[in-house]
Amino acid sequence: MKIAVWLGRRLIAIVLQLLIISFLTFSLLFLMPGSPEQILIGPNPATAEQLESIRERYGLNEPFLAQYADWLGAAVHLDFGTSIANGEEVSSLLIERSGVTVSLAIYAIVLLLLLAVPLGLVAGARAGGTADRVISAVTTMLVSAPAFATGLLLLYVFGVVLRWFPIFGFGSGFTDVVWHLTLPAATLAIAVIALIVRQTRAVAATIVRSDYVLFGRARGVAPWTIWTRYLLRGSSMPLVTSMGLVLGFFLTGTVVVERLFSIPGLGSLLINAVSTKDLPVVQGATILVSFFVLLANLLADASHLAVDPRVRKAVLA
Amino acid sequence: MASGNGRPGADLLSVEGLRVTGHDGAALVDDVTFSIRPGETVALVGESGSGKSLTAKAIAGLLPRNLTASGSIRWRETEVVGARERVLRTLRGPQVSMLLQDPFTLLNPLTPVWRTLAETLPGRGAELRLLISERISDVGIEPARARDRYPWELSGGMRQRIGLAAALSQSPALLLADEPTTALDATTQRDVLRLIHRLQRGHGMAMLLITHDLRIATSMSDRVVVMAKGGIVESGDVDDLRSGGRQEYTRRLWAAQLPVDRRLADLRVEARLDGAGAAPVPDAATGGAGAGTTPILVVRELSKSFAARGHGEGVQALDRVGLELARGRSLGVIGESGSGKTTLARCILGLEQPTSGTVELTPGIARRQVQCVFQDPYSSLNPSHSIGFALAEAVRHRAGAPLSRREVAAEIAATLHSVGLDASFARRRPETLSGGQRQRVAIARALLLRPEILVCDEPVAALDLTVQSQVLQVLRDAQAGGLSMVFITHDMSVARQLTDEVIVLHKGRIVETGPTASVLDDPQHEYTARLLASVPSGDREWIAGPPLQRTGAMTDG
Amino acid sequence: MSTGLQTRPARQSSALVVLALAFACLVAGLCVVSFVGLGLDPQTQRLLEARQPPTPGHWLGTDLVGRDVLARVVHGASVTVIGPAAVALGAVAIAVPLALVAAERGGVVDAVVMRTSDTLLALPSILVIIVIAGLFGGGYWLAAAVLVFLIVPSGLRIARSVALGQKNLPYQEAARLIGASTPRRMFVHTLPNLLPTIVATLLLDFVAALVALSSLSFLGLGAPPGSTDWGTMLAENLRLIEQNPWACLAPAVMLVLTAYSATTIGDWLHLRLEGRRG
Repeated sequence: MKIAVWLGRRLIAIVLQLLIISFLTFSLLFLMPGSPEQILIGPNPATAEQLESIRERYGLNEPFLAQYADWLGAAVHLDFGTSIANGEEVSSLLIERSGVTVSLAIYAIVLLLLLAVPLGLVAGARAGGTADRVISAVTTMLVSAPAFATGLLLLYVFGVVLRWFPIFGFGSGFTDVVWHLTLPAATLAIAVIALIVRQTRAVAATIVRSDYVLFGRARGVAPWTIWTRYLLRGSSMPLVTSMGLVLGFFLTGTVVVERLFSIPGLGSLLINAVSTKDLPVVQGATILVSFFVLLANLLADASHLAVDPRVRKAVLA
Repeated sequence: MASGNGRPGADLLSVEGLRVTGHDGAALVDDVTFSIRPGETVALVGESGSGKSLTAKAIAGLLPRNLTASGSIRWRETEVVGARERVLRTLRGPQVSMLLQDPFTLLNPLTPVWRTLAETLPGRGAELRLLISERISDVGIEPARARDRYPWELSGGMRQRIGLAAALSQSPALLLADEPTTALDATTQRDVLRLIHRLQRGHGMAMLLITHDLRIATSMSDRVVVMAKGGIVESGDVDDLRSGGRQEYTRRLWAAQLPVDRRLADLRVEARLDGAGAAPVPDAATGGAGAGTTPILVVRELSKSFAARGHGEGVQALDRVGLELARGRSLGVIGESGSGKTTLARCILGLEQPTSGTVELTPGIARRQVQCVFQDPYSSLNPSHSIGFALAEAVRHRAGAPLSRREVAAEIAATLHSVGLDASFARRRPETLSGGQRQRVAIARALLLRPEILVCDEPVAALDLTVQSQVLQVLRDAQAGGLSMVFITHDMSVARQLTDEVIVLHKGRIVETGPTASVLDDPQHEYTARLLASVPSGDREWIAGPPLQRTGAMTDG
Repeated sequence: MSTGLQTRPARQSSALVVLALAFACLVAGLCVVSFVGLGLDPQTQRLLEARQPPTPGHWLGTDLVGRDVLARVVHGASVTVIGPAAVALGAVAIAVPLALVAAERGGVVDAVVMRTSDTLLALPSILVIIVIAGLFGGGYWLAAAVLVFLIVPSGLRIARSVALGQKNLPYQEAARLIGASTPRRMFVHTLPNLLPTIVATLLLDFVAALVALSSLSFLGLGAPPGSTDWGTMLAENLRLIEQNPWACLAPAVMLVLTAYSATTIGDWLHLRLEGRRG
């Protein structure tokens, strides 16, 4: 019951946020240098008739808010118009490109789940030990480095020198796609893994030194219970609380990674559109990515609610 | 000896030549030897830094990784020093268990009470549920009120009781209780100690009770070991200790204990050891010249409520509280945590706006002439500035007109001297000072504003006993100089020594008020009487008998 | 992504700190060299010597059009580092006073500042910069200016929470009771206690700005084509990875080490400055 209220509120908030984003995105047409007609025609010189037909087609003679309402009405039906560069439907472009980007993000999440918490737990449980020092030094290096630079090093070592993985493209068929996406997903995951490892390590180190672990050991609680219910559960909290941030980073970080590995995803679509000032595509991609990010945040908050009884009480009381 | 296992008379625990060293080789505990027989209670008494907690951890085999124990610790036949964790692990719980000091960090916040208990109880399903309920009611809590709750939904007293139930779940032969009630309110402390005592008798369990309070040690234990600076000062029968102890150190500890039934002439430990300071004096002897009945502070119908955070209910911290402070007198405000005493102090200081009611100062007294000494010595001074900077700021703000550097320095030196510190302290930084020294500096800073009224909010609650009495004497000297004082405390003994009149606060209301001597000698209100009864007397009777209040209430701490 | 002050490792081994400081000095030295010149020749194109792996004449080889990679990497230090440094200084200069005021005044002021910063923080900053820098064509410095505002919130939040933590400490209340004015309490009492936070934030912001601006250059939307910005170099030399990998590895390594040094020095300074207190 109360969960429903919470969920309802969050969904309303997402709709409102999307409205604001859509308004700002729509306004780009008028904020960009150059007249709207010229922007929508593209870089080639245009005749008066062409300009008039564009004005007609996009309703540019109507008042600003009416134009926005029309545009929004179409956008709700996933109609963002056609690409200026090649005349394709923006929505079909988006659908075509989303698959790659979403698989890349999911692959990165799998890597994150497999690596981040165990590494942080090992470092934190023996804080100050050799493993901790190595892990801490490496994560400090990776957490701060630009993704395209670490990605290039991966690409050079595993793609050029060792030739274990392909250095560009997407591939076809499940295994081939996984093979192609390994280096990009690793690049995407590395900075985030380092961040989560650092957070997990800090929490694990605190729990290991906590009174309740000492008390648990003193009263004879089984080591397995201490490791799982005390340490593992407590140390997964940073991963859960940062999930929104992490997913957001995965969805926006693909822009750089797709460029580095020449992968035809949403990110490269957006970059190309921005470089060629292909406004309808930019608008569609921006709104789609924003929607993904907002949805990811909702998922993250819901999982936080599921694992932390304190948050549950604070939110649902 | 109801436990029955083990040879009768044989030691349950024997510690011989225990030494705990840090990674730099320095000994934190050195040459500690004592033993505990089945069913016996031994108290380990010492001030902070005496090594008593480390000794307990070493006995449990749970020293922090960077410390090492040497010597010998035996649980019956098992040698703990150098033993493998696998061996000790199976013995912790049924042989030796431990209860820690802070109820707020004792339990896993992500685990509900029933699961905490289930971790060390046998059985499953309905059988286990029944056992859990039994164990919860054993510690005086109605099972339904705690079973499905998380630790952070419970009061400190309830958490400590659940901790006790968890520690005893496998009926250990020996319980190591490390300051188990220090973090609790006085009335809750006595109830929990009585509960521990009763359960101990019921289980036929031996106990090592670690405490800083000699009176709790004498009322609960059969034998006492006194520790200081990592070593044993003396150990012996509880009656030896009750009659004052054989060693100088122990006698100092006793001397630092403030009585609740009389006012002492001099609070300093040295003076009391001489005998001169220990003489009782009439209660109203402090007021200096000019002490009289003219009120300089009047509080009328003061109420303060705090708005709720989120969806919870708001809190009524103060409910129509009124008081008068006469010039040159000292007014005590006695209360437990949650009584509203600190809120009252903050309203008087103008740090908090009352919801209704008034705080009036006699005309002619500026806000700046009402100063404060806070409870926490560690955050009372700005870590970024030297002592001299903090004191000079006070002088300059009082003087208004610019003073020369020399004038300021001279005044600082004189004031530091008056609180018992050398003038060279002005050059030092806060982090190099002990807690007692910091509180003296805080007093000096307040005095430099030449206040009319000094509000003291638990100024010695965070200090060791021997340091407490020295700082309290400084405050008494200030009273003798004619300073009026509002003295907030939870400690009836401290109130006896420092105040002329007291008000007793309970849940934001005044329940009793009057001259200190008559309130403490002959309390009229049931709550005041309960507070007084919860002051440790050092006698066996203090710990025997049923709890003072029906427990299981959510309000016991 | 920012690493957050609350997650720093307990203590770094001092050898790594020394190396980080040494590398930071090296980068500073390169900046000076690239200003002074010292016979550096990053722009001359020698098409006959293009795409060469390292030779005695060109220690890191040459790029697509025969420019000396070493000279370009050295010259790129100032081009790459000065923008992020300016962004970090700007962001801290805005964040710290705002944090002090928000913490001190509380109420509406605090709510407005914090909600605004929450909103900015929720924006995917790299997308915003890409869209603005790309569509508006303002290039590197417009992106840097926008970036200042996108980076302010993270430091602002940390500084505010530290300032708020100080606000109700007894020493602050003692200063109020003495009669110290609000500005005096903010600047004489609170500000010095924010120093460790400010220093750490400065370096964290620098790293965040370095990542954002070099990413933008890498995508071809920041520094102009042919610039010696390490991000631009990396992107333009990517297709040389088989013939002369050093042409893109060198700027990548420089970027990673610069970011790493700044993070390590930030951690170290934060701990050192905190350690001086009680």
